Order: sequence, then structure tokens, then C-alpha cells
Amino acid sequence: MRIKLTSISGLFAGLVFLISHPVAIFADGEAGEHVNNMQEHLENYEDEIVWFLDELQKITSAYEGGGSSEYSSDMLIDNWEAVDFHAAIEINYIQIYASIWQGIYGVKASLDSGEDPKSVDIQEAGLQKALWQGLGAVKLAARFQSEGLVGAQGNIDSRSLSPSETLEAIKSELDRALAKSAERLPDEATDIVLGAYLELFEGLEGDLITLDAELVEDLEKDFNVTLPQAISSELALDSLNQVVSQMKSKLDRSKELIQDAEESRRSVF
Amino acid sequence: MRRRDFNKALLTCGLTPCIGLAQDSDSNVISVDELPELVGEISLYLGRGEGGLYENVLKAISDRNPKFKLNIRRGPTAALANAIVAEKEAGIRRADVFWAVDAGAIGLVVDQEIAEPLPSELVSQLRPNYRYRNWLPVSGRIRTLPFNTSALGIEQIPQSIMSLPDEGFKLGWAPEYASFQSFITAMRLLAGNEATSDWLLKVNSSAKRYAGELGVVMGVERGEVDIGFANHYYTLRLKAGKPDAMLDLAFTKGDSGCLVNASGILALTSNKTVHNFIRYLFTKEVQSYLSSEAFEIPLVDGIALPRGIPSLDLISPPAIDLTQLSDLRPTLDLMRELRVL
Repeated sequence: MRIKLTSISGLFAGLVFLISHPVAIFADGEAGEHVNNMQEHLENYEDEIVWFLDELQKITSAYEGGGSSEYSSDMLIDNWEAVDFHAAIEINYIQIYASIWQGIYGVKASLDSGEDPKSVDIQEAGLQKALWQGLGAVKLAARFQSEGLVGAQGNIDSRSLSPSETLEAIKSELDRALAKSAERLPDEATDIVLGAYLELFEGLEGDLITLDAELVEDLEKDFNVTLPQAISSELALDSLNQVVSQMKSKLDRSKELIQDAEESRRSVF
Repeated sequence: MRRRDFNKALLTCGLTPCIGLAQDSDSNVISVDELPELVGEISLYLGRGEGGLYENVLKAISDRNPKFKLNIRRGPTAALANAIVAEKEAGIRRADVFWAVDAGAIGLVVDQEIAEPLPSELVSQLRPNYRYRNWLPVSGRIRTLPFNTSALGIEQIPQSIMSLPDEGFKLGWAPEYASFQSFITAMRLLAGNEATSDWLLKVNSSAKRYAGELGVVMGVERGEVDIGFANHYYTLRLKAGKPDAMLDLAFTKGDSGCLVNASGILALTSNKTVHNFIRYLFTKEVQSYLSSEAFEIPLVDGIALPRGIPSLDLISPPAIDLTQLSDLRPTLDLMRELRVL
């Protein structure tokens, strides 16, 4: 199995940010002590994924066989919330976490709306892929954790986030909001977006506005109007993803501008 | 290096500050080249708030002084002030120096009588009306009225903050914003609770609400509102990025509408390394950096103001001891009672 991470540095920035902003409580309860020693639990996580996929297979087979009260689509959510791997991936790679939820609701929706088996198979394949990608991401995070890389960076008191790291952290938070939307938790998702604006973006926008005022105006609107409205109107996750992707492009542009400005900024002495 | 002797009379003035931001004619700003090398280790509690610019200053100081180790604990200013007070009550001291982004948080610590007096020649570097015995304002920010120049001329804007809500303008505000709440605290202290309640009720009945003060300024520029309430630097920054913005600044006179608040620093330990570290922040290099890069108002003499700020002779902030701005609780209670928050 191979993992395709879009950005290892993105994962690392996400790890730094998330560990420095401890996530003790999840929508479904405590994270569990296992997340502090993931290396020792990798085998368990893998077993859980195999179990989850076996159960998924039973649910879709029952559906294709004409349906069974023993295997309802609601079991998908119950099963996902029962596994430790859930917390491990939520802490470590929120983008894949969102994809897993998207996959779960994709399969559930295709079952509940009576789609043909081929469509169900497509959704199932997407979910499988996201789960295995998630295991790869957790393995990488476990290695960082066991080598002490995360711990060394994790204390927010000892280290400030640079503007570039802050922008990466904002992108992570947008992914987390997306994940909460995928979990059908729109209020939590909105809180995350507004928190990212107030606690992270606001510290940068004063500088950024001197570089590109229109870009800041666009992002202000995205944080305060466009994305919260999209979340509250419970747009399909793909549409929501599009809003977030556009915001991320603007944040990437912001990063370029800020990096260029820092390079040309006068020195203090 | 030109240094003046400790002037007790001026310090007394600092506790009940004189009106006006006019510069002292006898400038005594020093250069970093005149300072001794820093040797030793100190712990700084640093309130977050000015992007990476304060960090740039601290890094430059550390880079210049290889025998000096600066340990930094970062956090929201109010939380750090509370931590210092809690540590004092627990009988421990972890911070040697506290650099806060607003004077209210400084006041919270000063009230505990744990801030050490600062050397007189350091205090006397500041403009006369910003000299305090046991803390120093590092750089200032002025409360202003950003206005849309296509909707209004500056002559139409009243010079009294208290009469502004009666003029029928479309107003924009961000009442959740900490700087706004400090401004209301100043209004309470200067005009009283009743007048402040009336003012809040009037503004609340018509003003458009924004999440932050940059949002207020952008709303003014877009013409959504005629006038806003915001710190000066948001307008300067927006105009730097959009020079043709239909936006300018107006100032009230002698009231909370043109309050000059400040970031501030205090020492919890008294020794040479701490004092010399603080001296770095008042050099012409650091003060001009904060002015040109962060658009903040330098509070030592002889440093150019940020571009876009009119002559200081035209600005007349109220006479108020900035540490009184720590009296935030009654302000929040009032705003909640009036359903502003």
C-alpha cells in the first residue's frame, strides 16, 4: 500500500499546529491515550480498518442482495465512531479525515437513495482509498512522534508560528471545518472557521492589506460570509470543498506576498 | 549619548498625563550603537498581536547579542497578565519582563505592585506625557474616525465623540474588539457611565457591526458606512495597499475618541540585563522600525511618525492614565447589559 500525501510539509505544519492547540475532546468523546503512542498501536489501527472494510462489504453485499435489516447504512457511522483509528487520523491529517467522512456519507447516501450497485461500488472504492491513505498518514505521524519531532515543536509557549506557518495552520483549520461539515456538525464547522479568522488570520491581515488590499477584502468576505453561509446551508461536500479550495489558493497567494515582503523588509538594526 | 536627569515633576505628570502629543524639543533618543552588549538570560512574557514585527525586533536583539539568552513565553496579552498575577499569588516568578500589546493588561499587573521601578534616564526618554515610573509605553495607537471621502468632507465630522451619534451618519463598529472596549473604558472614565450608556445605545441602534476593526475600515472604504471607529493603523495600512482608497482619518479633540493607547513593557526583576534589554526597545532603530513597518506611533522624541498621520500638534488625546484601562470588567458588564455584546 502506498500513501499519496499531497504535502509532507503540510502534514508537519498541521501536526505542529494541532499538537500546540490540544484537541482533547472530539465530537464522539475523548481521543484516548493511544494517540500519545501511536507507534505501538499501528497494528491495531490496521486491524480496525480491515474490520471496518469487512463490515462495509457485508452492508453493501446485503444491499445488492435485496437488503437486510441486519446491515443498515447507519452501521457505517456507528462502526467508524467505534474505532480508535478515528481519533488518530482526526488529530494527524484532517484532510484525509474529511475524505473518510465524505466517503462514509457517499456510501450511505447511495444506499439510502437506492442507487444501482455500480454507483455504490464507486462510493465504496473512494472510501476504501481514503481509509488506506489515512493509515499511511498515521504511520508517518507515528514515526514523527516516536522520533520526538512533534514534541520538540509542540509547545506554543516556546515558539511562535511564522506568517507562513500561520497560513498553513489556517489551511489546516479550513480542512478541519470541512471535516466537521462532513460529519454533519455545521455549528462546530462554523466555529472553527471564525476561530481561524480571529485567532490566526487577523494577526496577518494588517500586513497583508498593505500588499494586496483586494485579496484581503476577498478573504475577509470568505471567512465571515461565504464559507459560514455555505456551511450553514449544508451544501454538498464537493461544493463546500470548492469554496475551501478557492480560499486556500488565496491563502497561498498571501503566503507568496508575505514571503516576498519579508525578504525585502528593512532590518531592525 | 545624551541623557537627562530624572525629573520627578515629569514623572508626576506621567501619572496624570498632560494633554497633547507634541514633541519634546530636547530629543534624547539613543542609538543601539550606544548600548552595552547584553549578557545573561531573561524570560519575557510576550503578548501576541502585531504579526511578526515584535518577533523581528526580538530576533534582531538576540542576533546582536550572542551572550544573551532570551526565553519567550507567548500568549494572548490578557492571559499572560493573569498568569503573572497568579504566579505572584503562588509565590513564584517566572517572567523577568512583560511586553503587552495594550496598556490595560499592564495596569492589571501594575495594580499588584509587583512591577519594579525603572531607571529614571530610561523613563525620561519618553514624551513627557507618557512617562510612568514602573512601566513604559513602547509604541502608541490612536483611536480615530476613518471616513469615506466620497460621502463626507472632514469639516462635516464633529470634534466631539459624544455628539457623533446625533449627526445622522451611517456608522460602522466592532464592539467585540479589544481596542474598542478600551476606548469605551476611557469614555466611561472620562464622561461617566450614564453618558457612555446613552452613547452606546444610540450607536447600537443604527451602526453596522463588523468582526474586527480592519473590517470596519474596509466597510468605510466600500461606502457601506460613512464613518467608523478604529485604531489609526488600519486606515494607514489599507491606504498603503490601495492608495486610491476613498478613505481618510478624522480625530476628535480631547476625549476618548482620540485616545492614544499603547503597547507597554514592565520589569518584574530589577537588574542590569533587564534594564539594558528594555533600553533596546527605545532606541531610534527599534522605534523607527515599529513606526515604518507596524505604523505605530513612536513615543520617544525625534522619531518620524508613520506616513499618513498628521502633525502631532493637531492631535489632542485625553488626559488619562493608561493603566486605568485595565478596569475593563465594568465596561463589559455595561455593554452586556445594553445588549451591545
